[in-house]
Amino acid sequence: MKKTIKSVIRHLVLLFLSVVWLIPILWLFVTSFSGYKGINTSHFFPETWTLDNYAQLFLRPDSIVQYPRWFWNTFVIAAFSCIISTILVLMVSYTMSKTRFPGRKGLMSFSIILNMFPGVLSMIAIYFILKTMGLTNSHLGMIIVYSAGAGLGYLICKGFMDTISTSLSEAAKLEGASQATIFFRIIIPLSKPIIVYTVINAFLAPWADFVFAKLMLNSGVATDWTVAIGLFNMLGKSMINKYFSVFCAGGVIIAIPISALFVIMQKFYVEGITGGSVKG
Amino acid sequence: MKKKVLATLLAAAMTAGVLAGCGGDTAQTPAAETPAAETPAAETPATEEAPATEEAPEAAAPAADDAIANLIAATTGPVAMTVWASEEDQDLTTKLLDQFKALYPDVTFEITLGAESESTAKDTVLTDVESAADVYAFADDQINDLVQAGALQEVVANYTYDVAASNVAGAVEAAGVDGKLYAYPMTADNGYFMFYDASVFTADDVKSLEKMIEVADAAGKKVAMCVSDGWYIYSFFQGAGLQLSLNDDGSNTCTWNAAGGTDVAQAIIDLAANDAFVDMTDEEMATQIAEGNVVACVNGTWRAETAQQAWGDNYAATKLPTFKVAGKDCQMSSYSGYKLIGVNPHSKNLGWAMLLAEYLTNEESQKARFEARGLGPANNAAAASPEVQSNPAIAALAEQAAYATPQRVGGKYWDPAKTLGQILASGNPDGTDLQQLLDTTVEGITAPIE
Repeated sequence: MKKTIKSVIRHLVLLFLSVVWLIPILWLFVTSFSGYKGINTSHFFPETWTLDNYAQLFLRPDSIVQYPRWFWNTFVIAAFSCIISTILVLMVSYTMSKTRFPGRKGLMSFSIILNMFPGVLSMIAIYFILKTMGLTNSHLGMIIVYSAGAGLGYLICKGFMDTISTSLSEAAKLEGASQATIFFRIIIPLSKPIIVYTVINAFLAPWADFVFAKLMLNSGVATDWTVAIGLFNMLGKSMINKYFSVFCAGGVIIAIPISALFVIMQKFYVEGITGGSVKG
Repeated sequence: MKKKVLATLLAAAMTAGVLAGCGGDTAQTPAAETPAAETPAAETPATEEAPATEEAPEAAAPAADDAIANLIAATTGPVAMTVWASEEDQDLTTKLLDQFKALYPDVTFEITLGAESESTAKDTVLTDVESAADVYAFADDQINDLVQAGALQEVVANYTYDVAASNVAGAVEAAGVDGKLYAYPMTADNGYFMFYDASVFTADDVKSLEKMIEVADAAGKKVAMCVSDGWYIYSFFQGAGLQLSLNDDGSNTCTWNAAGGTDVAQAIIDLAANDAFVDMTDEEMATQIAEGNVVACVNGTWRAETAQQAWGDNYAATKLPTFKVAGKDCQMSSYSGYKLIGVNPHSKNLGWAMLLAEYLTNEESQKARFEARGLGPANNAAAASPEVQSNPAIAALAEQAAYATPQRVGGKYWDPAKTLGQILASGNPDGTDLQQLLDTTVEGITAPIE
């Protein structure tokens, strides 16, 4: 009896939490099917249902809403930043974890301190530097900025590589393997979970970034924007009543690549973590 | 050892590559800019010559034609410009830009149209003036800051028409700072008045706010106003004869806490205590009008379409009503504002940018803007046209104009005023002494600019 009560209470708490977490998402989702374009807080569920918001998003881009274009821009920026950052992080982690050279400790502490420095503070400086190079309003500029400092965030990845036994690489070295061989043949295959983690992180940061994109892409031309800026713009004072449900549709769509990436990578993620624990 | 040398060499090669990359960029950028940079230099004489228009008004037309001819002659290569117009203005501006291009078939234009709301233009422009648009639209209250930051080119000469003479005096005054003209007036309707549903209210009802609330209450409907916003709450205090003005240094002078101030505050609390009088934001109002809950609201021309759709033939508009302060009827005041188009002095094609700004604000364009969006023209001739005169919203605005003041207020005003509005609209829940509340508000509003 006591057990049942406890279980009921526990489930009530869980129910409450899940409601708190899920309601905004559910609201976003159902509003994206609303036939009324503006914001309407007097009903939770829309009065009329339609797929038109999605159709408008993809099939009828106007001078304000260029969703397919934004999606593509954001995807290109995120994909390239992701590739470059992942490579940088892996290289730095390997160097710090598996090689020994004078000044290694000092370099490590220095980069960690440098990485702790909030990037937002240097934003204005970065903006003006890029401006002198003609890289503002350019996606190349954004890719450079998103991936440039990535190597500094090596700490977690290095920590993982430290757990891979040194005897493996030593053995390989005795067999005549070069650093490159050790890196590609031994360390990389054993680091799958951390690579997945790095890839997801490196993709998410530019994919969801707003502040820096807003500063960089300041031409006001809708076709240059990323999804985050475009969606923000749709909530402007004069736009919200015409575009709110379209905005919700955009918000639902934006989750797709992230979910896809996660689902694809998840296999390795879980495998890696359990595999690692067995090795102990 | 050999490996180390190799590594060092590789590192050096990479560093060199990076540096070379930078060098290449910096070298390229000025080179690419050079042809464009030449243009303003070549154009300057054309712009300089244009003052002839002012000196000899009788010879204005030929002189203006000469100026344009000079401008065309001085233009080599394509003219690249960026224009910022508000989101709602995109379709119309695209059309106007096409017409503008067609006017000068000998010149190749590369005009990019960006979206930037007039209300936020200042923030975006001032982030980086050099990279802001060549021609942009903004609301007139931003003009002081924009001029101070060097973001507006002074209009010393006109190509096609006399800007100062053909627009309403208030708009020209709003487009100038210290007697110098800095922008081109585009619309003259950036103010608010009362929309109402004529099936609920009679023309007599809408003369007094108390009466309106009574009628709305009886009908089970609401009268809406955004009380918790500095822009709107001004109408009560100004209407009761209290002062708020802008000083030269950008700070404010405010007498809302003087004698009679507490009566106004009490009046707002009393109004807000009625169930039929609701404080809501503009966006919310749009929804509630469409839903049929709100049958009257204080708002501006941008809501005319929503109201017209919802109320159909019963759609009506008039000046703001009176409200009772300590038993006495006071006419509510309002802000009047204008939307302007400015030219960025950093533009690489200054002459063309000014010509384009002129085109976007000339009589035909203002008429087109009225027809497309119902915005009140600032141009005398356009405003005098019968279609404009018979538009209810514009007529209401003209009626309200007698009680309206131009929006000249420093940036320190908004937040304290908004807080005051929120407190009063919610009925002063903490029971703060009203005099003390106003003192705090005024202290915030008149705070010096640091």
